[in-house]
Amino acid sequence: MSGTIKKSKESIQAEDTLVRRGTGAFLEATPLPPAENGRKRYRVGGPEDFPDNSHRVVDVDGRQLGVFHIKGNLYALPNICPHMTGPVCEADILTGSLQASDETDWKPEWVHDGEVVVCPWHGLEFHVPTGQCLAFEHIRIRRYKVTREGDDIVVEI
Amino acid sequence: MTQAAPTHLETNAILEDLFIVDTDVHVHESPGELAPYADMPWRVALENIADRPETYLDIPSFSPGVSDGSYQAKFPTAHEGARMVWTKEQMRTELNQLDIDLGLLFPDHLLKLPVLTQTDYAAAIARAYNRWLVDKWTSQKDGLLGLIVACPHDPQDAAREIEKYADHPEMVAVYLPCAGLDPLWGNPKYHPIFAAAQYHELPVLLHSVTVTHPVFPFNNHGFDTELARHTTSHTFSIMVNLVDMVTRGTFTRFPRLRVAVSEAGITWMPWLMMRMDKEYTERRRDVPFLKEKPSHYLKQVYVCTQPIEEPDDLGDLVKAMELYEGENTTMFASDWPHHDFDHPMKFAQVPFSDEVRRKVMGENALRFLNIDRTGRKL
Repeated sequence: MSGTIKKSKESIQAEDTLVRRGTGAFLEATPLPPAENGRKRYRVGGPEDFPDNSHRVVDVDGRQLGVFHIKGNLYALPNICPHMTGPVCEADILTGSLQASDETDWKPEWVHDGEVVVCPWHGLEFHVPTGQCLAFEHIRIRRYKVTREGDDIVVEI
Repeated sequence: MTQAAPTHLETNAILEDLFIVDTDVHVHESPGELAPYADMPWRVALENIADRPETYLDIPSFSPGVSDGSYQAKFPTAHEGARMVWTKEQMRTELNQLDIDLGLLFPDHLLKLPVLTQTDYAAAIARAYNRWLVDKWTSQKDGLLGLIVACPHDPQDAAREIEKYADHPEMVAVYLPCAGLDPLWGNPKYHPIFAAAQYHELPVLLHSVTVTHPVFPFNNHGFDTELARHTTSHTFSIMVNLVDMVTRGTFTRFPRLRVAVSEAGITWMPWLMMRMDKEYTERRRDVPFLKEKPSHYLKQVYVCTQPIEEPDDLGDLVKAMELYEGENTTMFASDWPHHDFDHPMKFAQVPFSDEVRRKVMGENALRFLNIDRTGRKL
C-alpha cells in the first residue's frame, strides 16, 4: 500500500528472534536414513558439539530445536515457547527453581538444579527432562527423541 | 465462544496483513545521553553521573527507587528482564520483527519521574528528554512518534513544553507519568497541563510502573513479593488516577481532551465503571459537576492492551471488551522491549471479528492520535 511503512518479511522462525543472538549460530543438521517407524532422523552434530551441562539450538531442516545435555542425558525441545512463540531454548543459562509444599512446611526449596530452562521473553519455566511447564500443569512441551550413536548425536522428528 | 488458535503460519499471515500501531514502546535514555540537552546547572549533575553503571530503571540521582524486584531475593534466571532499545534504528528493526507499523515512544527511566523530590531538577530532566527525543528518536519515515513528557512537579513548565512541541510533526501526544505520583492527576494544580493539551488538540496518555514509594497506591512495602506489588500498584495507579480525574471534574472541565491509559491491561474497566456508577447513585452530591454517570466518562477513555490478560478461553477478552464497550477505544500496545511485552501474535488468537481486530490493532490508535497511516498529523 502506498505510504505505509515497509515491513520486512520474516521466516516463521526468524534467526534474529529479538534475543539478538548472532546469526548463523545454530548448527545445521544433516539428514540420515529414516527410522524403522518411518520417522525422519538427522545428525545434529558430534559429541564434542554437545558437552555435558550445555545446551544449544540446532536447525533441523528449518525447524529449530534446543538440544540439552544434562547430567549425562540428552533431551531435545522445540525452540518455540507455547506462550508467545519466544525462543525458549536460547536461554543463556539452565537453572533450577523453587517449590514449596506441606512436606517442606511450606518453605521454598531449590529443586531441579540445572534442569530448568526459563524462556528469555517472559520467564516461563520448563523442566527440560519432562517438558513440563512449572507454572501451568496443563502445558507440557513436546520432546524429541535424541540419542548418541557412536560419533553422531541423532534427533528423530 | 472458543475456536482453535491459529497455527504459526496463519498467525504470521494475519499479522502481515494487519496495519498495526503500537501505542507503547520504550526508548532508553540515560544521564549521559540527556546531559547535552539539559539546561545549566542541571547539565553538570547529569554529566556527573553519566558513567554510573546502569541498573534497570534504577539510577540514583536520575531514576531512584526500586521497580525491578530488588526488595527480595534474586534467583538465577534466563528471563531477559532488562532489555533496552538504544537507537531508533534498533527500534525500527525490532518492531519490524513484530510486524508493527507505527510505534509510540515512551521513556525508560522517566517512567519514574514523579519519584524525584527536587522540582527544578525533575523539570529540567523532562525538558532535556523532550529535546533529546525529537533530536535522536522521533522519525515519521521510520514510523516512530513521540510523546511530550509533562513533568507533574511544575505544571506551568509542563504547559510550556506542550506549547513548544505542539506543532512538531513527530510529537503527537502528552505523556503523564504516574509512578510515585502525588497528588493524583485529578488535582487542580495540573489544570495548566490539561488546558494546554486540550488547546493544542493533543491527547494525553497516563503510564505507570511499579515502585515502592510512600504515596498511594505505591505504599506496597507490606507485600512480600514483586508479584503482589506488580499486580496491584501498577494497575491501581491507573485506576485511582481515573477515579480522581472523574471525581475532580477533569473530564467535564476539559470536555475535548482525549485521554488514554497504558500498561494496566483491560479487564478492570468493567469493574471500575460499574463500581463508580453504583457509588454515584448514593453520592452524586460529591460530584455535582458531572452531567452523566461516571461510566459515561470512563467509556471515552482509550485503553492500551498491554499486559493483556490471558484467560484460558481468550474469548473472555472479547466478552470483557463488550462489557466496557471498548470496541472503539481499545488500542494494541506491546511495551517492547520490557520484561512483560505482548507479542502481536497473541491478538491473532483472540476471537475478535476481523473488523474489531483491525480497530484494536491500529484504527483506534490512528483516531486517538489523530494521525494517518504514515504517522502524519491530521
